[in-house]
Order: sequence, then structure tokens, then C-alpha cells
Amino acid sequence: MACPSSNGLVHAMHSLRQTAQLRSFAQRSVLSASAPIRHQQRQPARGYATEVVEETDKTTEKPVAAPEIDFSQFKSTPTRIIPVSGAYFSGSPKFIDHLLKLESILAKYAPLPTVEPTEAPRMAWFKLPQFREVVGEPVATKKYQSLLKILLRLNRIDQKLMPDEVRDALALFTRPGNPYGFQPAPPTVNENGISRAKGKRKEASAVVHLVEGEGEVRVNGKTLVEAFPRVHDRESATWALRCTQRLDKYNVWATVQGGGNTGQAEAVTLAVARALLVHEPALKPVLRKAGVVTVDARRVERKKPGHVKARKMPTWVKR
Amino acid sequence: MVSSFCWGCLTRLPPAPRAILPPTLTAQRVASFHSSAALLAPPAKKQNKPVGGKFRQGNSARMKKKKPVERTRPPAVGERKALRKRIILSNPNALEIPGMKEVSEETMVDARLRGSILGLPVPMLDQLRAVQAFKPKQGWSIFRRPGTVVRRETLELGRLIDGISGEGEDKGKVVKKIVTGDRSTGKTVHLLQAMSMAFTKKWVVVTVPEPQDLVTASTAYAPLSDENPNVYVQPEASAALLSRTVAANKQVLSGLTVSREHAGLLKSAVKAGTTLEDLAKMGIQDPAAAWNTFQALWTELNATSPAPGFEKNFKPRPPMLVTVDGIAHWMKESKYNNVDVKPIHAHDLVFVQHFLSLLKPGPSQSSLPNGGVLLYATSASNSPTVYALDVVLKQLAARQAGVSPSSPEFPQPDPYLNADKRVLATIDTSKPVAPKEGIPEIQTLGGLSREEARGFMEYFARSGLLRENITDAWVGEKWSLAGGGVVGELERLGRRLRVTAA
Repeated sequence: MACPSSNGLVHAMHSLRQTAQLRSFAQRSVLSASAPIRHQQRQPARGYATEVVEETDKTTEKPVAAPEIDFSQFKSTPTRIIPVSGAYFSGSPKFIDHLLKLESILAKYAPLPTVEPTEAPRMAWFKLPQFREVVGEPVATKKYQSLLKILLRLNRIDQKLMPDEVRDALALFTRPGNPYGFQPAPPTVNENGISRAKGKRKEASAVVHLVEGEGEVRVNGKTLVEAFPRVHDRESATWALRCTQRLDKYNVWATVQGGGNTGQAEAVTLAVARALLVHEPALKPVLRKAGVVTVDARRVERKKPGHVKARKMPTWVKR
Repeated sequence: MVSSFCWGCLTRLPPAPRAILPPTLTAQRVASFHSSAALLAPPAKKQNKPVGGKFRQGNSARMKKKKPVERTRPPAVGERKALRKRIILSNPNALEIPGMKEVSEETMVDARLRGSILGLPVPMLDQLRAVQAFKPKQGWSIFRRPGTVVRRETLELGRLIDGISGEGEDKGKVVKKIVTGDRSTGKTVHLLQAMSMAFTKKWVVVTVPEPQDLVTASTAYAPLSDENPNVYVQPEASAALLSRTVAANKQVLSGLTVSREHAGLLKSAVKAGTTLEDLAKMGIQDPAAAWNTFQALWTELNATSPAPGFEKNFKPRPPMLVTVDGIAHWMKESKYNNVDVKPIHAHDLVFVQHFLSLLKPGPSQSSLPNGGVLLYATSASNSPTVYALDVVLKQLAARQAGVSPSSPEFPQPDPYLNADKRVLATIDTSKPVAPKEGIPEIQTLGGLSREEARGFMEYFARSGLLRENITDAWVGEKWSLAGGGVVGELERLGRRLRVTAA
């Protein structure tokens, strides 16, 4: 959808380049496009009107150093200042330059083998507001999506064959400090045979230490009965072990804080399930079926002004 | 008669035009599919509707008179409480368990019975009721007959009671225990088991089932005497104690006679041949003399030899079991006021004083010279917070664990928390004078072991309350859910009615 329009832009650019002879500038990195126009750029074939053309015949004469350019006195001054970017008058020139550059890179490396999108490395692309800040231009959501599409396609190029040019180009669009780059080490049972895991539910958060044992459960140092007077809470706290028939094979040491009884019990459930998965990863499908792997991320909805509670409105009165 | 069928075309003849039918019949509309003869029903009566508006009646809004609501009479005074405190010991719908054993001299020391349920003998139930050994919410009413699970502590207690009443080296020993433990770990039932064993061994059982009642200012009180104006006596409570003791120990007390004269009682009433039962009954009949009578009875029960002139018919006294269920109420100021309208400390009530003094070693002889067991239980659900008592219990536990009282690890009361000094002095662990008197110990009840829990759950299954296959895995699961085999929680899990979806 965005391609035809960008292709149209490409055509426009070509015509611009041909007329204004801006090829060298258009091909330069757009991030440096805001730099002032530099005049000592060497172009062997066709040059600027502002350029000093050296006429050297390498075959006949020894190369002689060019005379120093005197910037104060140009031999010829341009009749009007020509913008660096061909998309200068398009409203969002930097964005379009980015887009064009990516498109050209893609066209260049299109034949390279790609991998499945799931196998491509996960990259933290700029979110739209961040990207807008970087380019300093209003970028429409849809336009940015088209840019992302190209980025994703480039990212699918096989890592072993990915050229540095692509790598650098992609790096320009990732958030600093790649949040997906850090992969925490998978938890393991420590040297004492204890696995540790955390769980949260409502306002409660629990830390569970699970060790092979006889079915002793301690919550905050208290027995299960003291911690959870309600039978239902006790059952839900130990549900992960119970549904796998491991209740008499592990000892649980849990620390819970925050929330109420139910929240604490279910935070313990989640933490116990995760700690159990460290001991026995093969239990994951069973535990998932038992509903103790999925995190319940719901929290209390905030109260709003004008409402009695989160959603409830005051009773309507006629006068 | 002409048939309504047209035989030529086998169709019904067209019915007669409606106008011919009588108007009363046409007024009713009848659905065509009805088979019943609606037309034969009597015509609906015309309702009397007044013509026009209600011109001759008042139009103002009329207030309806409220009908007096029929209220049933509230139950008579004390009826609700009686219902609340009612103790049901049998459920005829529960299955009877064949081969269930009873508490007896043999079974109370039989280690093989650990984890099984021992029934309470039926004749003993009246005695146990008399000493108020049963509490209303212990779940006695779901089984065919009352029974208790034999756990490790029960067997220890059985051996202890057996040893004290036997002829061995433990004869005449005094064991003082403070029974603590978490909620519903079976402290009160432990006392009940002790009572049942004591009754089996023909001991004298003296109980205070509700210590709270003595300090809530719900019974009368008066200064003990002119000499002791700061010590208070509770006549009605003392009479109740006597009546409990007499009703439960009638058989034993009627076999014992008075062994000496008693200063506080009428000489004419107490003669040489008076049985202890008659002596105690004097106090029941006259609450004003109840405390003196109780003291006389106590002296008699602790007598080791008769006074001169009373040698005839003197029999050695049996050991005694004294139980108090919930001592924390006795460790703070009571709700009674003195003449200066200052609260009276519970230790100033002579009744309380008497029972707490038993925890200290006797001055010249043992506090129970004929031997016996003191079991003072705390309560986890109905107990006021008494800091000093907590400290005392911690100190007892530390001493039992071998921590020397002079070591820095020994728990000491925080000087800034104003621990009650009288409470701290309650339990004296100094070396007793009498050789057979023990120092107070603390016994903490925890959960049942897995084997005991299994026996307990099987009891539910065999009573028909639980429809499960009792396996080790199932029991282990319940054991964990019950916080490590807390017996009251196991009972709650066992009695929970389960309706399976299948």
C-alpha cells in the first residue's frame, strides 16, 4: 500500500537528481543530511557548479597537488541554494530519505537468502513516538508501518550472510540498548536442590523456594493452616503440586507480601508452579492445563472522578 | 339421524351459520385445536362494574392500617444458650464401626493402637459430661459414638497415668504439664483423653472447663474473710465446682470417709463416718459454705493418713487429675472491682489462687501427696494476649530444651513491656521438696503423623462420612492441606460433603 506511493517518490527523486545533479548528496546518509553543504566534494564525472574542476591528465603529466581553495572567494556562486535532500519540499524529507535508502538497500540485497520471521533475531524497533522524536518530523502511523515492513524484511536476511551495510542500516532504527538482547539465564536448581521462583496475583507477590521433601508447606514461616484459614485458599496455594500429585514429594517455603488472602494464595500458586517447572520442566503441559502457568495480570481498575467506583455512576436524580 | 359427514365426498358438512347459534355460546372464543367441550362450560359471570366514576366516595388517599404482625414469642431465657451449648454425642445415621475398641486399662497403654480410634465407654459418658469434658463444636455429633484418636501424646499420657496408679516406681508421682499448641491441634481433646483414662483408673477428676467464667464478673464474689479482705471468694462458682466433682466422682467419693476435723465447717455436720460425697454435697446445698467445703474436700483427698480418732474406715486416697482449659484468662486483671472500684487481679480470686498454687512445689509435701497429673491447657482461639504468660511459656520451653536460665539465650521479659510480675512468678521451676513431685513442663501439641492421620481418615470413611479411597497419597495430600496433620483441620476436610460432578 505504501509501496506505490514510495515508488512514486522514487521517480520524483530521479527526476530531481537528473535536473539538480544531486546524486552524491542524495546517496549520502540522511542522518548527516542536515550537515552544511560541503564544497570540496570530489566528483570525477559531473560536478557542481560550485565545484572547482581540476583538469589533470594522469597519462601525460605528473600529478600536481591542487591549489588550496579559498572559501572566501568562489569563482562562481550558485544562483540559488539547492537543498541537500531531494525530498526537501515534501514535508517530511528525513523520513522519506530513510525510506528511500532502505528501499535501495532492499533492492540491492533482495536475492540474499532469508529465514522464517520467527527465526529472525528479535529487534526492538523504535516506537512511533520515539521515531518521530529522532527524525523530528510528523510521521504518520501508516507510513511508519511501511518503513517497519522493510525493516522486518531486511531483518529476515540470514544472519551469516547479512552485509554490514544492512546491519548498520538496521541499527539506526533500533532502540538504544536493545532490550531483547539480554536473555536471562534459565533458572536452575541450586547446589542445595532448591529452586526459587516468583509469582504475582492482584496486589500480592510471592517468592517460593521448592525443595524435595515430605509435603511440608510454610508460608511466611507459618503453617498453611495459620497462613490461610480458608480451605479453598489452601487448596489453591498448593494446586500446582496437587494436580501433578507431587504434594507429598516437595517442601515449600514461601514468602508472600501484599494483597489479601486470595491474592496471596494465588501468588503462591503461580510461584510454586514456576518453581516446580525448574525441577521438572516436562510438567509444563500438565500445569498449563491445570491453569497455574498462565499469569493473571488483572489488577484493580482505578476509580475515576465523577464515578462512585471504577465504572459505577452515582444514582440519577431528576433534580 | 343424519350424519354430519357427506358420504359422497367424505368431508364434513359445512357447519350451520354462526348467527343461528345461541349468543351465549358464541361469546366464548375457543381455539380450534381444543378437544374439550369448552362450549359446554358455564358462561362466565358478569362482573359487577360500577357505572361511571366513584362519585359518592371520598377521593382522598386513605392510609392503610397496618396489620399487627404475628410475632412468635422469643425463646425463653436461657433456651438459646442451651441450644448453643448443647452437646450431641451420637448420630444414629452414621455407621457403626464393628470391632471398635474402647478406652480401658489395657488399651490405654497399647502402642499397637496408635493411629486408631478408641471409643469412650458409654457409662463413662455421664461422668465426662459432668466434668464438661466435651465442647459444643468438636464434631462429636457426626459419629455414631464418641471416640478419640490415639496419638503419640495420648500413649505417653496413658503410660504416665498407668504408672502413677500402678505399684511401680512412678507410684504417687506428680506430673505438671502445660498443654499448648496451635489452633485445633487437640488440646481440649487431650484433656478429655486424660479424664477418660483417669476415670478408668478410678482417680478423682477435678476440672475447670471454663476458666473465663470466673473472671468475667458473671458470678457472685465476696471478700474471703475480715482477715483477708483483698482475697475474694466466688460461692456459686465454688458450688458448681463441687457439684461437677461430686457428679463425676460419685463412685470414688462415696467410698471414702472423712479423716479429720475441719475448722471451717460445722462439727455436728461432719462426723467420723461421713463420706466425702456427703461432705461435698453440703457445699452444693449451701453456696456460702461452698469454698470451705471445697477446701475440706481437698484436704481429705490429699490426706495420706487419718487424724487420731478417725482411723476407722480410712482408705488411701486415689491419685487426682486436675485440668484447667484456657489458663490465659487467669493471668490478667478480672472484670471484678474492689471497694475502691479498681479491677481485681485474677490471682486475688481464691478459686484461681488455689489452682495456680498447684503449679508451685508444695511447702512441706507434694502439692498432690497422693500423686496425680495437672494438665493446664492454653487456648489458641479464645485467649487474651498476656505478654507475661508468653514469656513464661517461652522460658519453660527453653528450660526444657536445655537452655540454662543464666545463659543469654534464655528468654527474658522485655523491661519496657511491663510484664506482670505475678504472672511471671506463677510457674516456679525451683527444685521441689517432695521427691516425687515434678516441675512444670510444657507440652506442645502439633499435627498428627501421617499414619495417625490415615487412621483418623479411615475412621471417617468407615463411619460413612467420607466416600473416598483412603490411600497414602490421598492422606498425604490432606495432611499437607491440614497444615501438617492438624487434627481439627483434618476433621474439617473429612466431614466436608463432596458432590462429584460425574
